[in-house]
Amino acid sequence: MFVLVVGGGKVGYYLAKELIDSGHEVALMEKDPTRARQIADEIGSIVIPHDGCEGKYLGEAGCNRADVVAAVTGDDEDNLVICQMAKHHFDVPRTIARVNNPKNEVLFRHLGVDELVSPTRMILGSIEQDIPVHELLHLAALGEGELEIIEAHLQAGSPAIGRSPEQLDMPEGCSLFAVVRGGIATPLRPDDVLREGDKVIAIGKQECEALLHGQLIGDPEAVSAG
Amino acid sequence: MPDTDTPTYRRAVIALNGGSSDERIVRLVVALGTKDVELIAVHVVEIDWTLPLDADIAGRSEEVQQVLDTAEGIAEQRKMRMEPVLLQARDVGAAIVDEATERDADLLVVGLPYRKRFGGEFAIGRTVPYILQNAPCAVWVVREPMSEEPS
Repeated sequence: MFVLVVGGGKVGYYLAKELIDSGHEVALMEKDPTRARQIADEIGSIVIPHDGCEGKYLGEAGCNRADVVAAVTGDDEDNLVICQMAKHHFDVPRTIARVNNPKNEVLFRHLGVDELVSPTRMILGSIEQDIPVHELLHLAALGEGELEIIEAHLQAGSPAIGRSPEQLDMPEGCSLFAVVRGGIATPLRPDDVLREGDKVIAIGKQECEALLHGQLIGDPEAVSAG
Repeated sequence: MPDTDTPTYRRAVIALNGGSSDERIVRLVVALGTKDVELIAVHVVEIDWTLPLDADIAGRSEEVQQVLDTAEGIAEQRKMRMEPVLLQARDVGAAIVDEATERDADLLVVGLPYRKRFGGEFAIGRTVPYILQNAPCAVWVVREPMSEEPS
């Protein structure tokens, strides 16, 4: 598989290294000539010392025959442009973008980037797993990013407490499939009654998130105020 | 010149660039070598990233084969054996250094055309500096004479 990595920071460097170790053909684009030289000295002559945001240089880097383009610069705008050009100009089958600002995720998806990796979102997710939050927790994206696995921690005030999945008004295209209770994960049957403290794992389309939030999280502020 | 001053080597890699300096460096190495030295003529065809590295480029080109055939012919005239090596690589300098390292060569010889950049400054290119910086063995760089014709 030929992978074109754009961005020679820490992420790009280690990504390229791991891919080479796994036997893939890799080209890495880095616009800073000093950094490009440094990487070439360490990994070998796989570095193209040019800006991946320019179509001409993406072409020279072999974007036309890349199986995957991974845009992992520290700049969301650059990553978006790179993936857009790779997808629509060079017909690359799979584009992956690093998204630093989680607020940009919607835009990236809307503009057709196949897969998003958000370090900020991941760290946030790890933190949220250990502290009580009144939000849905995104665990993973599936397929081309349309489906998500989501966790909801049922706390006082959740409309789902004392009810079973079959009694909940679940949005279309979304289903609850597991519950974590006392650290043990079990499949969720339609007649299982949900309790406070349960962590419910759901799978569904992104559009379902607001409805899912209403069913599982409710309005926690109303509870605190009350 | 006393014998002690004669350069000696047992295995020399001669990097051919397909230019006019090829014949000059092959003749030089052949002239200075003894009959039992191993000569390895390496010609690297740089493959850009738009093509896979194993694309059938060099093998098909008569011009490329001619580069090695000419070098072999010069060695044969002096009854010396030369192994021709044709490589495809992303970077010529790195490929030459790798070949010299793998062959455990004690001499690497490269030709350098005399070229000037726009503005008149001498242009050494990137291959020779890379080789000088990274080759583990002795390196001879043979620069072509300045052309009398305006470049």
